[in-house]
Amino acid sequence: MIFFNTKVNQQSWGIKQKASSSFYLSRKNSWLLWLCQCLNVAVIGLELSTWMLGIISLALAWQAHLLHQSRDSVRNKKQLKTAKQPGPRQGTRQSKHANNNQNKPVSPIILAVFALLGCLAIAITAKQVGILVSMLHLLCFSYVLKAFEVRSRRDFYQLLLLGLFVLAASLIFRQDLTATLIILTLLVLNLAVLHQLFSYQRKFVANVKVIIMLLTQSALLAVVLFLVFPRLSPFWQVPSAKSAATGLSDTVKPGDIANLTRSTKLAFRADFGQQAIPAYSQLYWRAMVLEDYDGRQWTRQKRFASNKIPGAKIKAFSFDVSKTEVSPLTYQVVAEPSYQKYLFALAPAVAIGDSSGIKAQAGYTFNSTKMLSQAKSYQLSSYLTAPFGVELSQKSKMANLSYPKNSNPRLEQLALQLQHNYVDVMSRAQAVLTLINKENYAYTLQPPLLDNNSLDQFFFDTQAGFCVHYASAFTFLMRASGIPARMVTGYLGGEYNGINDSQQADNTGHLSIYQYDAHAWSEIWIEGKGWLRIDPTSAVDPQRVDSGWSTRLLQEQSALNNDLLSLYQMKNIKWLSALRLQFDALDYQWTRWVIGFNNKQQYDLFKHWFGKMASWKLALIMAVSLVVTMAILMLFLHLLNQPKKKSRSLTKWQRIYQKSLTQLAKQGLDKPVAMTVNDFSKQVRRECPELAIVFTRLSASYNCLCYQPLSAAKQEELTLAMQHQYQHFIHAMKRSA
Amino acid sequence: MVTKAAKAKFLPRQLISGFFKSNFERWLARRIPKRQEHQLNRRNIMIYPSRFGMAYLGFVILVFLLGTNYQNNIILLLSYLLASLFISVMLHSFYNFSQIRFFSLAKQQGYADDTLSFAIKITAEKIHYDINAHFTDRTLNSNIETVEQCQRGSQEFSLRVKSSQRGKHFLGRVTIFSEYSLGLFKSKTVLDFGHYVIIFPKPRRLTLAQYQCSAQEDSASIESYHTANLVGTDDFCELKSFVRGESRARTAWKQLAKGQGHFSKHYQSSQNQLQWLKLSDMPSDELETKLAYLSFLIGEFTTSNQTFGLQLSANIDNSTNTTNTTNTTNTLLNIQPSSGINHQQACLTALALYQ
Repeated sequence: MIFFNTKVNQQSWGIKQKASSSFYLSRKNSWLLWLCQCLNVAVIGLELSTWMLGIISLALAWQAHLLHQSRDSVRNKKQLKTAKQPGPRQGTRQSKHANNNQNKPVSPIILAVFALLGCLAIAITAKQVGILVSMLHLLCFSYVLKAFEVRSRRDFYQLLLLGLFVLAASLIFRQDLTATLIILTLLVLNLAVLHQLFSYQRKFVANVKVIIMLLTQSALLAVVLFLVFPRLSPFWQVPSAKSAATGLSDTVKPGDIANLTRSTKLAFRADFGQQAIPAYSQLYWRAMVLEDYDGRQWTRQKRFASNKIPGAKIKAFSFDVSKTEVSPLTYQVVAEPSYQKYLFALAPAVAIGDSSGIKAQAGYTFNSTKMLSQAKSYQLSSYLTAPFGVELSQKSKMANLSYPKNSNPRLEQLALQLQHNYVDVMSRAQAVLTLINKENYAYTLQPPLLDNNSLDQFFFDTQAGFCVHYASAFTFLMRASGIPARMVTGYLGGEYNGINDSQQADNTGHLSIYQYDAHAWSEIWIEGKGWLRIDPTSAVDPQRVDSGWSTRLLQEQSALNNDLLSLYQMKNIKWLSALRLQFDALDYQWTRWVIGFNNKQQYDLFKHWFGKMASWKLALIMAVSLVVTMAILMLFLHLLNQPKKKSRSLTKWQRIYQKSLTQLAKQGLDKPVAMTVNDFSKQVRRECPELAIVFTRLSASYNCLCYQPLSAAKQEELTLAMQHQYQHFIHAMKRSA
Repeated sequence: MVTKAAKAKFLPRQLISGFFKSNFERWLARRIPKRQEHQLNRRNIMIYPSRFGMAYLGFVILVFLLGTNYQNNIILLLSYLLASLFISVMLHSFYNFSQIRFFSLAKQQGYADDTLSFAIKITAEKIHYDINAHFTDRTLNSNIETVEQCQRGSQEFSLRVKSSQRGKHFLGRVTIFSEYSLGLFKSKTVLDFGHYVIIFPKPRRLTLAQYQCSAQEDSASIESYHTANLVGTDDFCELKSFVRGESRARTAWKQLAKGQGHFSKHYQSSQNQLQWLKLSDMPSDELETKLAYLSFLIGEFTTSNQTFGLQLSANIDNSTNTTNTTNTTNTLLNIQPSSGINHQQACLTALALYQ
């Protein structure tokens, strides 16, 4: 047994532990991360191409498969381990390591090939789908691929930030309250997964709670930042969001709008403030005027756009306020993103207030200068009863009289007949309406298909159609009979949301106009009266024009739509309707104050609060408010984290004893905390002999009460005695003083 | 020339960093002085964004740019929310870390290559999360100890070190840090418990034969180095009053006959020679090996409860010739015969500190 260690001088310090940063996610955490990824991608999924979604779901499924596999291997390992080490804590540690080892990473070569192919596909389709969408493709693709190589904490962090960025990017496309709430929920979930990393012994729900608390505390500062932080103009041009355009389109064929009415999406909202809202049948929200008819469909006239002279011509389109005596109706419109340019107005109207980005168009409509990719709010003044377009240029007149000859011969013939029978323009129009009303015409969302969009076929054969059918036929008849006429599309009516207190005339609500309110009507031009609105729909379905959709139409719509909750149900189940209106009101405020909060509103807010000011004062206010908010936050957290004082209530005798101690302290006799009651009474005896007897008695009773097991009655008795002793003590104090 | 230039470049840098380092050390020593018990508070907590925190800030700026470029208020609001989250996480991080108490004893001792652990006791009044600790000096290769969830009350964890070099080593400060709530911030403190270790030479087994072949002709003491039957039977040592059960053969009949009482005789093996373990007697030329043998012998003697002294100075016999100064060192290096655990510790410490 001879041992001779050959290495004598070993200089270095021991424990050659491999400095492997053993990073592992617990199984629960991995699944949560996976879930987060699925949800994050789902939020933005609508904007991605189908092939990309396919790739992403493939990757996610693969990921799930790997996770599932790792569970099996862990289970096997665990069984082996438990035989060796029964310690529960050690057991879990071991299994986690096993998890780490067992979780065979996907070969980097396969991943690289996959990534390369994906990038190639993205690059190839970039031209087709636009820059923004291909960027999103790249983002989402890297997001799901990154999950395959979470080996260190750094990878995990990167993955998490990518996920948050996906969330932020999805807000480019939707900003309404629902979308924001969804994003907020996902934000909480994502952060909770991150938080889980630092306290994985806690339940996930507890972590979610912590994150919610953290975000609530941050909310104050965020709101202040939102209010005071200067709004900057864009730093550089960014690819704009090109989502599928919704709402009306530039061309209208019979049957188009009927399709649009299946959608229950919001188109825009209008707020009339304190003013009375006009009657339903007056709410013809004009969006587009269609003057060109080629026998099949109506289109916007291009001529004005092409050779317009800035300034003078535009003035001619807009309504001249000075010539009218009608009192204006002022209202604010908040248009939802439609990815189109047209805006909504009650003609004739003028833009007031901040009218940047709004252009008046020919035909008394308004356009936005930019595509509506976000909610846009603007203010208008309408002169509802005032005539407009009294003067009509020859060119314009010609345009509004032209129609392709022989496109609808039977209608043309009818028009000639009418022209012959009714000389007066108004009575001629009325005659057509009467005709429609008298004959057995049907108003339906499912009009029979027409060959080649023939109006003849509709008017004489099928005799069933939606608003465009009637408006087209009517306009055609008017043109053919020599009256300038045109087609107007837009929305009719709107749903009032708010408290309509007729007695106080105090309206605090708004009108919500949905896609199913889309409508088409026609206008005829009469010498001296200008453009006159005539809605042939009123002749076939008066209820539509007076108060909105009839029950029959609603039911028809529900049958066509296979939504979970159809419009019919929505409108008829009372509590659901109330809930929907509540949420709509909330969403309106959100759209108005948060989405629509801009430079001007910020400035107005400051002016409202602090009066007019110089820019340096503004900066000062910003700085001060930020600092104050932060101080409040800190103070709040400080108070929250203060070690809780033992709030155990003192018993009566303790209070008496404390009182006597304070009395003594006034005399200059302090009881150190560490000193016992008996020792202190001895000290008192030494230093103020005149108090000796009373205080010693007091101390003795106190000791008894504190340390002897006494019955309740006895306790009370002794407490009473102690009270007496205290009084004696006070007397003695006074005497000695 | 090149090397010189490089050196010239290198030197001032080193000087500057050295200057800052020493200044920082001084500042730390003032700020967090050496104590057995520390409570974390505003004075000793340093809090700064971690790398992820910086990345997060960059990310928030990116979101802000996205929101500004798209003139999208909701994205802006999101970026503000994330930015203020950064601040509230900082405060949370701080409050999670503060008010914990740490207690640790300064000294640990043990043989070379043994793992020594410094127990650190945590006392908390509320639940704290993700508390990590390690020695600030990373060259010690010590472990990073993590307490995932520090419950109310006290609990203990230990930092382990291992050294193969005998002597007294100061371990410096202990870094305690937490990245709790989201890992954006690192709350850190470097506490000075005055930790040091005394490392005894690693014992090396020594056998009778070995000692014989290399020892000087110092014949008397051989057996005692052998580990068995240590209470010897050679020389009479003392009389002790008889205890029932003792062998009758040991009875001091002379005293019993005189009527002085019943005593039994006790013997001990040649104490005069053997009670001194001498460094110079060890069968090796190398100092470390000799010390290793001594370390082994001290252990053996203590387990067998023998009395022994330790003589590290070679010149104890010629002490008359030596000067005063060496004399004093000799008395330090020589430990008078005794026994027991404390004696063993003292002897081993002397070995550890032997120059």
